[in-house]
Amino acid sequence: MEAVQSLRMAWSAIRAHKLRSALTTLGVVIGIAAVITFVTLGASLQAAVIGDVGGDQPPVVSVWAGPEGAVGSGQGGPGFGAQPVLTEYDIDQLRRLEGIESVDPYGRVATTALEYGGDRVASDGIVAVTPAYLADEPLGDGRVFADGTREAVLNPLAARQFETNATVGSDLTVTLANGSTRTVTVVGILNESTSTGPFEGFSTAPRVYVPVDPFYTDTVTGPTTGEQGRVFRTVSVTATGHGALPDVQDRVRTYLEGDSDAAQLVPSGYVFAVQTNEELVAQIQSLLDQLTGFVTGIALLSLLVGSIGIANIMLVSVTERTREIGIMKAVGAQRRDVLQLFLVEASIIGAIGAILGTLLGVAGGWAATSLLDFPLEFPLEWFGIAVLVGMLVGVLAGLYPAWNASRLDPIESLRYE
Amino acid sequence: MPETAATEVAVALDGVTKTYDMGGPVHALKNLSLDVPRGSYTAVMGPSGSGKSTLLNLVGCLDTPTEGGLTVDGEDVVAMSDRERTRLRGGEIGFVFQTFNLMPKLTAAENVALPMVFQNVSRSERRERATDLLEQVGLGERTGHRPNELSGGQRQRVAIARALANDPTLLLADEPTGNLDSETGREIMALFERLYQRGNTILVVTHERPIAEHAERVVHLLDGELERIEPIDERRTPETDATLAANASGAETADSDGDGAATAEEA
Repeated sequence: MEAVQSLRMAWSAIRAHKLRSALTTLGVVIGIAAVITFVTLGASLQAAVIGDVGGDQPPVVSVWAGPEGAVGSGQGGPGFGAQPVLTEYDIDQLRRLEGIESVDPYGRVATTALEYGGDRVASDGIVAVTPAYLADEPLGDGRVFADGTREAVLNPLAARQFETNATVGSDLTVTLANGSTRTVTVVGILNESTSTGPFEGFSTAPRVYVPVDPFYTDTVTGPTTGEQGRVFRTVSVTATGHGALPDVQDRVRTYLEGDSDAAQLVPSGYVFAVQTNEELVAQIQSLLDQLTGFVTGIALLSLLVGSIGIANIMLVSVTERTREIGIMKAVGAQRRDVLQLFLVEASIIGAIGAILGTLLGVAGGWAATSLLDFPLEFPLEWFGIAVLVGMLVGVLAGLYPAWNASRLDPIESLRYE
Repeated sequence: MPETAATEVAVALDGVTKTYDMGGPVHALKNLSLDVPRGSYTAVMGPSGSGKSTLLNLVGCLDTPTEGGLTVDGEDVVAMSDRERTRLRGGEIGFVFQTFNLMPKLTAAENVALPMVFQNVSRSERRERATDLLEQVGLGERTGHRPNELSGGQRQRVAIARALANDPTLLLADEPTGNLDSETGREIMALFERLYQRGNTILVVTHERPIAEHAERVVHLLDGELERIEPIDERRTPETDATLAANASGAETADSDGDGAATAEEA
């Protein structure tokens, strides 16, 4: 039988039971729509979390001492569970290693609030870094703070969080966690509010940057020098270039695991993380992939239910049309003709379900991402996969009923009431 | 009488036995030998369980003999694969059933075109031929109607048109008038007569004597065996039917049901 004719006949069989066909299709529609919605959501979540850092990464190695098991798995993100083990002595030693451009400690100063122009907003911490850390960040206005001053650099979101926007020259009042207050003068506003490094996570958020000296006050007695000095949880090491990066990674690790202060301070059960931005992004990506995979798996279950629906309806349909199958065979239909008819019918249901499901899934993905305020990101390859899977589901679900139909004995079928 | 060479055989059964396994062996046909010449008009009669339907299924290539030889249109059906048998059935055999067996969702024209679909006849040719065949059976105006929009007689005429779709060697009819009133039954038999005159080979299974008497000969089956072959010297034709019907309705004016032929036969 010609393909066009079998399409025509299958379509008229589908139309003969409009409600039933529609409900069967709905099963597939929901399954495909769920898959599309969740993969869209997953891709959008990924774009929201690491989208901005997907491109060119600076040749930076992030260093911290984290819990064994968490390090390298992406769990908790860069700097998760980091202990204060990196002393100023260590930072000095690291600066002397070959292939290193700069070593920048990255600290957080715990705060409770920020105040500007009489408007007080909650803030759980500000960032203490060296001027060098911000040297490569494009400034929208002003300059980077100098070491040893009470100056601050804000990103645009931080500047706008007050009733009146903070600008260069504004004085902010910072309430530290211990209750004391410090006044800082804004000397620069960054161009963008995106993350300046892995330790901030990869999201866009309001951030205030201040110099390590005098704001960062966590200290320890250095095991090597025997003197009280600042100690950091996280340090960012910049290599002279991407080519030097792997060697720098090795050298940093060798130093830390050798006779560094950090090696003596680190608690048992903690290991050193010496990771490039690419590695960190990849780890987070794999975590997100797992999450997306998980919800997509659940969505696939509903697709499975949809396919069982098709199989069920096709079985009913075969039983119901036993006599018609008998007639077709009596007038010369081959087994493969009957098989083809029922398979085409199931595939049409699957394909229509897949197409409608994709449209619905796109709408669902759009609705979900706009509700959660994620950037909308469509994983286009998944749309193709969904349509293919829908048709495949139709074919597979239709296979057994169609095979059954093709095997019917014409004499028995004609007698069937 | 049709011009076709009567010596040429359309169907030949040679010692055919058909046994069904229904818990124990049931012999539906026993050692049956029969030739159906091309262009002949044969009726098969016998009580229920005599093997009429089994014979029809075998000749129609819907079933295969347990023993014995069977050729249809010169081809050995016994040696064929299921697929070849289906091809032979679709191309060389036209079925007419008691219950019409039309596809309920298809129009008259689509029903007539259906056998051609499975022989890969092009769509335009199918449409043309279906319309032509429906005109031949007097349903030229009804091509777009579905079976439930047609009367019993019209449905059977659609079925006959469908049986002729692939220009078959053999036309098999199983109680073709069984579900029709006698007036309509006569119309159908008149149609068969025309097909016979045009040279079609016709095999009709019936338990009604008047229907069987339209044929050239009647094959009597009893308990799966050939009882006798009875030649009909004075065949019923549409003309004799009309006369008998007129007499019957004259005699029994109260019988509005018009069961004329059967009544006349009993008289």
